[in-house]
Amino acid sequence: MTRPGFALLLLSALWLGEREAHAQDKIWSAVLLASNTAQPAETPPELRGSAERLGRIFGYNQWVVLGSSTETIDDQVERWLIPTKHFSLNVKARRASSKEARGGYLLNLKLFQDKRQIVDTYAKLAPESPLFIRGPMHARGQLVIALKVRP
Amino acid sequence: MKPFEERYTAWIDGQMSEAERAPFEQELTDRAAAETDKHEVHRLGDLLRARGTAPQLMSGDFFNHQLQQRIATEQPSAPVRERQRWWSWSIPQIACAGAACLLAAAALYKGVIVSPEPTSVTAESTYFAEIVDVRTSEPEIYASTVYTAQDNVTVLWLEGLDYLPATYALQ
Repeated sequence: MTRPGFALLLLSALWLGEREAHAQDKIWSAVLLASNTAQPAETPPELRGSAERLGRIFGYNQWVVLGSSTETIDDQVERWLIPTKHFSLNVKARRASSKEARGGYLLNLKLFQDKRQIVDTYAKLAPESPLFIRGPMHARGQLVIALKVRP
Repeated sequence: MKPFEERYTAWIDGQMSEAERAPFEQELTDRAAAETDKHEVHRLGDLLRARGTAPQLMSGDFFNHQLQQRIATEQPSAPVRERQRWWSWSIPQIACAGAACLLAAAALYKGVIVSPEPTSVTAESTYFAEIVDVRTSEPEIYASTVYTAQDNVTVLWLEGLDYLPATYALQ
């Protein structure tokens, strides 16, 4: 192999390595049911660390994960997250380059309830900065849609 | 009154008036040394006047060339390095350059873009998820954003959604 060829190969390997470093990022979504009970059930493992904070904001003491879905994030590739049969999310992600974003993404999120689109939003998400969407009220409690980037 | 240096120069040059000269000479503490000074200055002046013109060089370029050669031989010569083209680098040189690039890229990534290590959930964080833009599909639905930096929680708060009865299956 010629020396310029070797140098090109080395640079390509470096570039691919950098891409691979982010190829493992995933986005997790869940539909949560929040309610108030006298004896709240144990917090689901997915919400440990968040349930208390969510309780302060929403005013509920019990959180149940009704369903969840996880997808790998690919730059500019549309993904469907279907945590339950009635709620789905269409996600298109672009990696945020600013340091403040802490390895996060700029997401174009579309929330659907059955076939009806409820909301279309652009949001910045980082691994330790989840996003919650206050959904409709159900007879059993408040529905909340959670989104989290998982490295 | 003029300063002493000025009067001394005038005395040496013989430009002092008779009226001034006698008191000035009285002022001199070492008259003999002053007379020697005066004599030396006059001698130097005579010499300069006698040889006022510099000898003309008949071959100036040759003189410059000789001078430059002499300077060059007297100065220690710096080692001359042959300039090396990048494509003629050896494999170890390329590997070193690659490693340097990798280090620079890693430093940039770490310093400018992001720290990839996740911090603990309870750790204080200045960043939280941010809603950049939001559009609801129906006018009855109203969206607002609730940030709580203290809890590092961002909520997209939707109002006006239909109430779901108990018969609506959740799973």
